[in-house]
Amino acid sequence: MAVQNNKALITAHNIGKKYDSNIVLYDVSFSIAEEHIVGVIGPNGAGKSTLANIILGFDTDYDGSIKMKDDIRIAYIPQFSNSDKYVLPLSVYEFLRSSANKYYGLQHNITTTEISQALEHVGLSESQINQNVYSLSGGERQRVLIARALLSNPNFIVLDEPLASVDYVARSELYELLRHLNEEHSITMLLISHDVESIVSICNEVLCLNKTLHYGCHPTKFVSSDKFTHAVSHKYKI
Amino acid sequence: MEIFTYTFVQYAFLAGTSAAILSGILGPMVVSSRQSVASDVLAHVALAGVGLAAVFDFLPLVGAFAVLMVSAILLWWLVIKEQYATDALAMVFISGGLSLALAFMHIAKNQAISFETYLFGSILTVTQSELLLMIVLTVIALLTVVLFWYPLLSIVQSPVYRVPYSHRPQYMQLLFFVLLALTVWVGLKTVGGLLIGALLVIPVLIARNYTHSFKMLTILSVLVGLITMYTGLTLALFIDVPPSSVIILTLISFLMLSTIAKKYLL
Repeated sequence: MAVQNNKALITAHNIGKKYDSNIVLYDVSFSIAEEHIVGVIGPNGAGKSTLANIILGFDTDYDGSIKMKDDIRIAYIPQFSNSDKYVLPLSVYEFLRSSANKYYGLQHNITTTEISQALEHVGLSESQINQNVYSLSGGERQRVLIARALLSNPNFIVLDEPLASVDYVARSELYELLRHLNEEHSITMLLISHDVESIVSICNEVLCLNKTLHYGCHPTKFVSSDKFTHAVSHKYKI
Repeated sequence: MEIFTYTFVQYAFLAGTSAAILSGILGPMVVSSRQSVASDVLAHVALAGVGLAAVFDFLPLVGAFAVLMVSAILLWWLVIKEQYATDALAMVFISGGLSLALAFMHIAKNQAISFETYLFGSILTVTQSELLLMIVLTVIALLTVVLFWYPLLSIVQSPVYRVPYSHRPQYMQLLFFVLLALTVWVGLKTVGGLLIGALLVIPVLIARNYTHSFKMLTILSVLVGLITMYTGLTLALFIDVPPSSVIILTLISFLMLSTIAKKYLL
């Protein structure tokens, strides 16, 4: 394991998960060093989102253990759901306030000023605060989700396919934003994505996952190997 | 205009106001969380409470209230357990509620309680004590929603936007079910258990085209509900048709007009 445990923000040890007799994850062990960006790549059904759900505490029924530093503050950035045409209007302000308040572990309810600052930080204007969040472009919506994560003042962010529905130009800009948050604000990240080229360029290390980790694989070679198409990965130091 | 000076008519308008305000507040949350059928579920279960009151000889609305609260908690518990699909759970509650109601009414043969009163409402027979209770519950529900507005908003959004290591939403969901049960209870005597769903959902469908925020959507839904309630109730006083029927048909007419206006004028 490349990261010494005493420098690790989070350490996963022998994580396993199965639904009935269907094994989704087995023997997954890794550490994430503070201030690193760690990528996870793998085919559909590799267990990437399952792993994210376990780390985020959404799924507590698994084998193995996860150790986290005491001062860890986790935030989550999913892919913005935009497939529902019957969704009701919700302003950017309401979207952010509804998940950033003291009922969700924050010390205080978020103020309008803090929301404006978070929007500015991710490249959105203050005037967009009253816009319907569902009428924004794909890139803008994803920026709103990043602002939502920042409102909880995290030092670790899990991103699950955050840029899957964003066009190429917006995607490049958003990767720059993630790099800025990592370098300037010391935020550690776990980035789950299909976008191998981008993930290799932004991450300090990449975990190649197909139900278990395949150590020693280069990410770009992993996606064209039989380990990608047939369940097998490992961490490759870039 | 003399008809508006009668006490039973004034009570009807005040009870209708309570039902419209409660439905308008809860409606957007019900639609957003795809829980429209939950009001129907609770309405059917409330009938078991009416039947229970007939057997043990106490006020039907008291029986309905008790059963509604217990059912709201049970429904919440089963929903968060995620062991059964919500539509399957709905069927269990609806059929279970009706079966119990039927059994209780059979046992209490001598009671002169009409299910129709609670299925389709009887707004012109609302008593002073019932009205007072409706107003008190509406004020409590209103204050609760204002106090927990943003946490409640979070539980009606897609579960994909969950917050790591936070268990609070489950209790907010319980609060949501309890508020919905209160709305159904007020609806039982006003527009009826089977029709309160329309008062929850249709104002939202009308209002959603005219706003960019959930708060404004809620305010507009309350206004649409109130306008409909007053229009329908006034019409019902002058034509020989049950008020709940006129109120809901007025609401559907407004929805049709709004749809046409959106298509050709906006």
